[in-house]
Amino acid sequence: MTRLADRPAVPVLVFAILFAVVSLFISNSYYQLMMTLVLVWAVLGLSWNLLSGYTGLISFGHAAFFGIGAYTTALGQIYFDITPWLLIPIGALFGGLSGLLIGFPTLRLQGHYFALAMLAYPLAILYVFEWLGFQEVTLPIKRVAPFAYMQFSDGRVYTLVALAFLVGTALLTQYIEGSRFGQALRAIKQNAAAAEAAGINTFAWKLKAITLSGAIASGIGAFYAVVLLVVTPQSVFGMLVSAQALTVAMFGGIGTVWGPIIGAAILIPLAEVLQAQLGARLPGIQGVIFGIAIIAMVLIAPEGLFWAARDGLRKRRVLAPVRGTDPVRPGPATLQAGAGARAVVAGEVILDVRAVSRSFAGLQAVRAVSFQLQRGAILGIIGPNGAGKTTLFNLLNGFLRPDSGTILLEGRDMTGCKPHVLCAAGVGRTFQVMRPFLRMSIADNVIVGAYVRARTDAQARSLAAAAIERVGLTAIAHRVAAELTTKELRLMELARALASQPKILLLDETLAGLGVPEADEVVAVIRRLAAEGVTVVIIEHTMQSMVRLVDRFVVLDHGAVLVEGVPESITQDPRVIEAYLGRKWLHHAQH
Amino acid sequence: MLSIEGLCAGYASISALQGVSIRVAAGQFVAIVGPNGAGKTTLFKAISGIVTPSAGAITFEGTDLLAVPPSRRPHLGIAHVPEGRQVFASLSVMENLQMGAVTAAGRRDWRQNIERIFTWLPALADCRDQLAGTLSGGQQQMLAIARGLASSPRLLMLDEPSMGLAPAMADFIFERLIDIRRQSGLTVLLVEQRVAEALESADHGYVLEAGRVVLAGNNESLRADDRVRQAYLGM
Repeated sequence: MTRLADRPAVPVLVFAILFAVVSLFISNSYYQLMMTLVLVWAVLGLSWNLLSGYTGLISFGHAAFFGIGAYTTALGQIYFDITPWLLIPIGALFGGLSGLLIGFPTLRLQGHYFALAMLAYPLAILYVFEWLGFQEVTLPIKRVAPFAYMQFSDGRVYTLVALAFLVGTALLTQYIEGSRFGQALRAIKQNAAAAEAAGINTFAWKLKAITLSGAIASGIGAFYAVVLLVVTPQSVFGMLVSAQALTVAMFGGIGTVWGPIIGAAILIPLAEVLQAQLGARLPGIQGVIFGIAIIAMVLIAPEGLFWAARDGLRKRRVLAPVRGTDPVRPGPATLQAGAGARAVVAGEVILDVRAVSRSFAGLQAVRAVSFQLQRGAILGIIGPNGAGKTTLFNLLNGFLRPDSGTILLEGRDMTGCKPHVLCAAGVGRTFQVMRPFLRMSIADNVIVGAYVRARTDAQARSLAAAAIERVGLTAIAHRVAAELTTKELRLMELARALASQPKILLLDETLAGLGVPEADEVVAVIRRLAAEGVTVVIIEHTMQSMVRLVDRFVVLDHGAVLVEGVPESITQDPRVIEAYLGRKWLHHAQH
Repeated sequence: MLSIEGLCAGYASISALQGVSIRVAAGQFVAIVGPNGAGKTTLFKAISGIVTPSAGAITFEGTDLLAVPPSRRPHLGIAHVPEGRQVFASLSVMENLQMGAVTAAGRRDWRQNIERIFTWLPALADCRDQLAGTLSGGQQQMLAIARGLASSPRLLMLDEPSMGLAPAMADFIFERLIDIRRQSGLTVLLVEQRVAEALESADHGYVLEAGRVVLAGNNESLRADDRVRQAYLGM
């Protein structure tokens, strides 16, 4: 398994060779055409998967790209007598450009708004082409130099060209999957806000994905025109084409290179055979079968055949060995090491927050909050629910722009910068609600945070490994997130934020939902980080842990600073007891 | 009133509950405590039917609960106040309460229930027309509890009502729960991470670890137990 994972190209090449061998033995031209079409739809599915499978932005409009490619070949050959060998790359170029043009406005939309907007493009273009009078375009037959115009008498050659196309696309997809590009896309799918906070410029990556996806879809569309020799607006811009891209990918499995290949290899021959056998008596049976296949798939294995099979295999493997006992137990001794060993660089202000305010529809969430943070210090932000603590974090890491006030990071004015800019400048953060990539290992989850610092993938891996080491998860770094306990997930989130090598770490309720002993372990890790020179700001309600962790408290109430000071004075302050701790606090504290 | 025998349940390859047996008598306040991943939430989900157990039995007032479809269980008098509050954010406070009162008993006792809810939790009366999504965390938790009460339950199940709340607010919620239970005679089953407060409020407790009951007893004996004191109370 590990060896295969290291050389993902091997299974693709093996598949291609088998496919080629099978196709060489098929002499029936109809079956040969089917072999070609399986590959065409698999490539279109792969291009769809590259955008929608990895980013989670579902496209209902891949026919737009496919059709642009198909018409590029058809019209280019008719009007300019250019060979498809050239027109296919030109079509891909047009597809990439249209991806860019479509993506620029459309990628600002989220979720189903994006899906619906994408639906509009092929429909609109379809009518434009009808209006231009390209109802049915036939490619001219070249009897003189057929090969130069990609017109082969032997259908097997088409299959081989399509196979080359597929191998190229599959290898490219696999390369992307393992690179920072793929990591960024998956991070966006999981949680766009967290990705932005991890230093990923989400818009730029999405734009790259749709451009590349459009180029591939157009390229294969251009080839499709050569194979069929006839292009109509319905056959290349029609709803069925977009649906086909989505269907093969969803049936086979989303977010993997194998999904569209498996989907096309099963569905295309199935539909064709049914059409051939029953089409005369039951016209349109093809569409019915497709519909049923999709419904069945969504009900039985909503993530597609590939993942269902993999989970099945995995379950069998997991059942055998016993789930390991908890490897992370930095004993209570590490807890003591904290405050004394830590060197708070006195006087050096790393973060200076000056009179920052922000309101939402008349509600003052944060009003004129000011405080200074010294390098290496641990600052606790406490206050009643709704006091504006999380809003303050969102202002500090750039999710929100302050209405007024200034935020200085190491003396530089960073007010109103985007999250990925602030992340690059050294502000890392974790979230109240964790959304890890459940199928991915700890190592792969953490690497997302490393790309903002790393130039190469190897460097990112080593940064991630170092971050995992710092939170003490090295021994279980290979485990997938779905198998982790809440505590391990919190530490993993911490490692993800650490992988960007932040100067300041903003921790939002990192101890929430943890029992006393588990919270102690996480506290020990945070103290160790502070001892290594990371400045920490933490929002937390678990006061027993907080008084032992922080150097200073800022208490917020109704969006404003109620009081600021060292733990001993804060926990005695009658205003804090009234607003936040409650009368029972003194009683609990005595335990 | 509620009796659970040898319950096993799990997700995919992970077994969250491995033969758990618990008894709750009518009018009792029972707390279930334990570390993360011990199976506390899964136990609640099995009672309310979100998770189907692989073995074991759940009986509620003599009825075999596993034979009752999940959507019918609230009608038997079981209210589940889920972890993380889960109020309907785009509905008003009153509308949320109406959603709680879809049971026959809840509709019958609507006026009386609302009156009692607003006496117990006056903060909700003040914001009855506000959208639940605009409430603070503490108010949302109160609303979640009130929505449970609006169904006229005989068993109230609370999953981590203190999660994400400021200390003063968590204390307030626990005080209210004790009052509500004293005045209404409700049976309460509580899952809590704040072991000290949970054991203080309850008369009986179970400690769940790795899907098994490792300790059970009344509140005095559990709070005096050395293992509990060390592992959960941090003493």
